[in-house]
Amino acid sequence: MKSLYENFFKKNNSSDPILHVMEKVPIFGNFTMKELKEVARLTHERSYKVGEPIFKKLSPGEGMYVILNGTVEIKDPDSNTVFAKLESGDFFGELALLDEEPRSAMAIATESAKLIGFFRTDLLTLMNRDPELGNKILMNLSRVLGERLRRTNLELTQAN
Amino acid sequence: MDSIQKLYRLLLFLVVGGLAWNILPFLGTVIVMLIFSFLFTTIFLQSVDSLERTIHSRGGSVILIIGSVISLGLWFFGSFIANIGSQIKEFTSKLQQEDFALSLEALSIKTREYLPDFMSNMIPESEKIISIAKDSLGNVFQNILSLLGSAGSFFFLAVMILIFTIILLIEYHDFKRSLVQFIPNKYLEVGLRMIYNIEQQISSYLRGQILAAGSVAILSIIGLFILNQTGANMTLIVFIGIIAGLANLIPMVGPFVGMIPAILIALMNNLGNDAALAHQLFGVIPSPFFMLDIIFMFIIVQQIDNNFITPILVGESVGLHPMAVMIVLLIGGTMMGPLGMLFAIPTAGVLKVIISEIIFISKNSHLL
Repeated sequence: MKSLYENFFKKNNSSDPILHVMEKVPIFGNFTMKELKEVARLTHERSYKVGEPIFKKLSPGEGMYVILNGTVEIKDPDSNTVFAKLESGDFFGELALLDEEPRSAMAIATESAKLIGFFRTDLLTLMNRDPELGNKILMNLSRVLGERLRRTNLELTQAN
Repeated sequence: MDSIQKLYRLLLFLVVGGLAWNILPFLGTVIVMLIFSFLFTTIFLQSVDSLERTIHSRGGSVILIIGSVISLGLWFFGSFIANIGSQIKEFTSKLQQEDFALSLEALSIKTREYLPDFMSNMIPESEKIISIAKDSLGNVFQNILSLLGSAGSFFFLAVMILIFTIILLIEYHDFKRSLVQFIPNKYLEVGLRMIYNIEQQISSYLRGQILAAGSVAILSIIGLFILNQTGANMTLIVFIGIIAGLANLIPMVGPFVGMIPAILIALMNNLGNDAALAHQLFGVIPSPFFMLDIIFMFIIVQQIDNNFITPILVGESVGLHPMAVMIVLLIGGTMMGPLGMLFAIPTAGVLKVIISEIIFISKNSHLL
């Protein structure tokens, strides 16, 4: 009975790679498929060549990216220090959803990559169209940032 | 880039530019239709988005909103034409009466008394005025008919704008996404910010203007109602108020255009009325047929609008210096008449956003 219901009344969303990747991102966690689709309608799919910068250090931040496929490096171009190597399903630049502060590092595609961009302007549009969903994203974003702050505090305590 | 490549690019630019220059006049109407559709889309977008949240159907919300607006517009124009028709009919029959000619003579004499000699010669004789009025009023219906005849192309334009607006409203967010796909990766974030700022600039300006026009309409209706209490004998005050509000959309010139129907109605209704002819504003300044009262009332409404309503509702949405606003209005008016004046300020606002982003790009090209 369940499979019949799934076949007739639910679309098979696992075939959509964007939804598949997005549901794993904590910022879009606990979203229903309908809500996820609503957000996906506002995102932008972009392709980057090997070595192409996604954003540069100190450029004004406009939003976050989720990696659909390929790999991306987050690094400091001055010291060449690599902060993180990211792959399919990972996300970065989420702080820019909240403010226009300059990017603290650069992001560069180390393989040809497909990314989904979700920008502050998209979030603002969503908050206008569907405030409930916009608030849900903001709550999840706060949770992610809170988690990160707690981890940093713990690391600082351990270092001292 | 070597010099041959540069030469090829220059040639390509010249060919494309030349083609565009030749094709542009034929595309002029389509461009105007698209601009209007885009503006209407911006006006209704938020209402459609809000309704979509409630009824969960984009198409349904577009049809409901556009349908209501069209019905309201048709009802307004239908009843306005019917009312003004009967008003003109009544006035035409008034023109035939003898005492009316006497009243006009009295007005002519009174006006001559207050004007200096060199200007009094410019006031025509009362018989002349009557014959002019009879001729022009007799032609009003004929003019309306000929206007309807030439309205075919306008009707076509209106229908096309309506269709474009409906499509744009339904597909707006997907359309925007498709447009963003053409932005190179390097300029993606700057491009998105520019699109968003332009959207905000236009929608806040238009929404503010519409609210300000609504407020002017309500204030004018209240003002005319108060004048009626003092014996101004004004009719069609709701229509006059709405026309004043709509005319207010055209900056600077609009407010003066808005008071013309009110003065005409006051003239039509009060001609032949001695008390109205002898009326004085504040019991001091002669104001035949309450004409000065009406002008004074509209000036008060304008002052309330300019000093309280518009600054609050429209605010610094466009952020242009008053001097720049006047220059922009003059350019718009010279290029496209009243229509140009209507679109001059939002266009200047959009250009301002684009120029500031271009300046940002040129200053921070190393960050892109």
